Amino acid sequence: MNDLAAATAAPLTGAAVPAKIKVRDVHFYYNGYHALKGINMDIPEKQVTAIIGPSGCGKSTLLRIFNRIYAIYPKLEAKGNIELDGENILDPSYSMNRLRTKVGMVFQKPVPFPMTIFENVAYGIRHHERLSRADMEIRVEQALRSAALWDEVKDKLKQSALGLSGGQQQRLCIARGIALRPEVLLLDEPTSALDPIATGRIEQLVEELKHEYTIVIVTHNMQQAARCSDRTAFMYLGELIEFDNTEKIFTKPGKKQTEDYITGRFG
Amino acid sequence: MSAVYARRRIVNVVALGLSGVATLIGLMFLVWILWITAQSGFGALKLSLFTKITAYGADGGLSNAIVGSLIMDLLAILICAPIGILAGTYLAEYASTTRLGATIRFLNDILLSAPSIVLGLFVYVIVVLPINSLTGGAISFSGFAGSVALALIGLPVIVRTTDEMLQLVPGTLREASLSLGIPQWKLTMQVLMRAAFSGILTGVLLALARLAGETAPLLFTAFGNMYMTAHPLDKMASLPQTIFQYTNDPDPALHAIAWAGALLITLFVLALSLLTRILFSRKKVSYE
Repeated sequence: MNDLAAATAAPLTGAAVPAKIKVRDVHFYYNGYHALKGINMDIPEKQVTAIIGPSGCGKSTLLRIFNRIYAIYPKLEAKGNIELDGENILDPSYSMNRLRTKVGMVFQKPVPFPMTIFENVAYGIRHHERLSRADMEIRVEQALRSAALWDEVKDKLKQSALGLSGGQQQRLCIARGIALRPEVLLLDEPTSALDPIATGRIEQLVEELKHEYTIVIVTHNMQQAARCSDRTAFMYLGELIEFDNTEKIFTKPGKKQTEDYITGRFG
Repeated sequence: MSAVYARRRIVNVVALGLSGVATLIGLMFLVWILWITAQSGFGALKLSLFTKITAYGADGGLSNAIVGSLIMDLLAILICAPIGILAGTYLAEYASTTRLGATIRFLNDILLSAPSIVLGLFVYVIVVLPINSLTGGAISFSGFAGSVALALIGLPVIVRTTDEMLQLVPGTLREASLSLGIPQWKLTMQVLMRAAFSGILTGVLLALARLAGETAPLLFTAFGNMYMTAHPLDKMASLPQTIFQYTNDPDPALHAIAWAGALLITLFVLALSLLTRILFSRKKVSYE
């Protein structure tokens, strides 16, 4: 593996924090279209990494490789190496079940299951572990507390999750994801369908969750990246242009393209 | 400029007028049919319709036809609902983009518009005749054969609605489940089916409403019966078929009974439509 890392361009990283995910020369093809062109990056452990860039730059595509959710669609192909704790998750022998318990994902629009609030959180756990009723209740409460939702829903756990507001639904989806105790949490534009107050709560939550989880967040909103991430990656036309400390990216970007984007000259 | 606006306003009024007239023409016939059915049917409605069998002719009722229709309709739904729901699920979840799926969908649409008399003859050949030769002529036409023919009417309706309702469930719900490590079969049975439940149930009720009014598939399969029976292997009477026979009779007293039968079917279908409306509006799962 070290040979491979040495053989490709030096990974763009910003810090001395150990890498949770090592992306090495990753290419991605949509039905033949070359969408990601040799991405190399090290995602630091227990930090928030933001990926920004204009529409179609490949940021969501990259995120969706990290838990291989792209694989449910035909004609999509990823090449290269993505090491999670030293193991290549793109290796077909890497268990999908294991990958998805280690890497949780929250989507752009909140998608609660058509079940009660309690069941929404318990459903995923039940598939992977056998817990007693009491243990399950504890687990669900922990997850809802971690997602800063417990106080709002503790009296209506038996009600349908579809009755919650958009922001509550999105926090429920985060609770559902962290209930499986993943190591990595992928957030794909998690606030783009929410109002500013709900967005603020999610950002605050991200800040708290990073102590336990490695978080990768894709966002359209540059202020959001600046506010809640430690590292920021800027992507453009399927390439990783720059990846550094968030502060540096937003104050002294190293590349002209990054500067043009964050100053709003294109995008 | 104002000339342009005046012209647009005139075109708008003309188009609105034409489409309004077209709607009125369509509605007029519907109301007319319902009016005549209600007028003639309610006039002929009497208690003996529900207590006497058709064997007494003009002095009799429709009780055996009502019972026969209920049995065959329910049996038909029991046959076609599981098959239709599973087939629709296969199309939506496992074959939505494949060539095989497209082919099955196309064939299903053909079945949806197949002449019902053809389905009746088909069931005559594959059910009635084999049972007849197997039992040495003891059983030939039967309520069961009628149910199979009716099931073929309902099947494509259920396949199509199930397929469409599952496809309406947003893909993000699938991604969200799969990203929790939940396997496809669990996702389909426990998440998607639940999300699409009221839509699928609506399809089943629509199929029931559709097959409840069919006459042609029963002519060569259930055959008809003047007496009361609840045994599915007997020849069985049904409302549509009795109406068909009575309207072909010169006796005006039988016409009156036929009108009453027509009203009963209409009310049954109306009740089913109302039920589906209520179910669909109340239990609808909405994803913005």
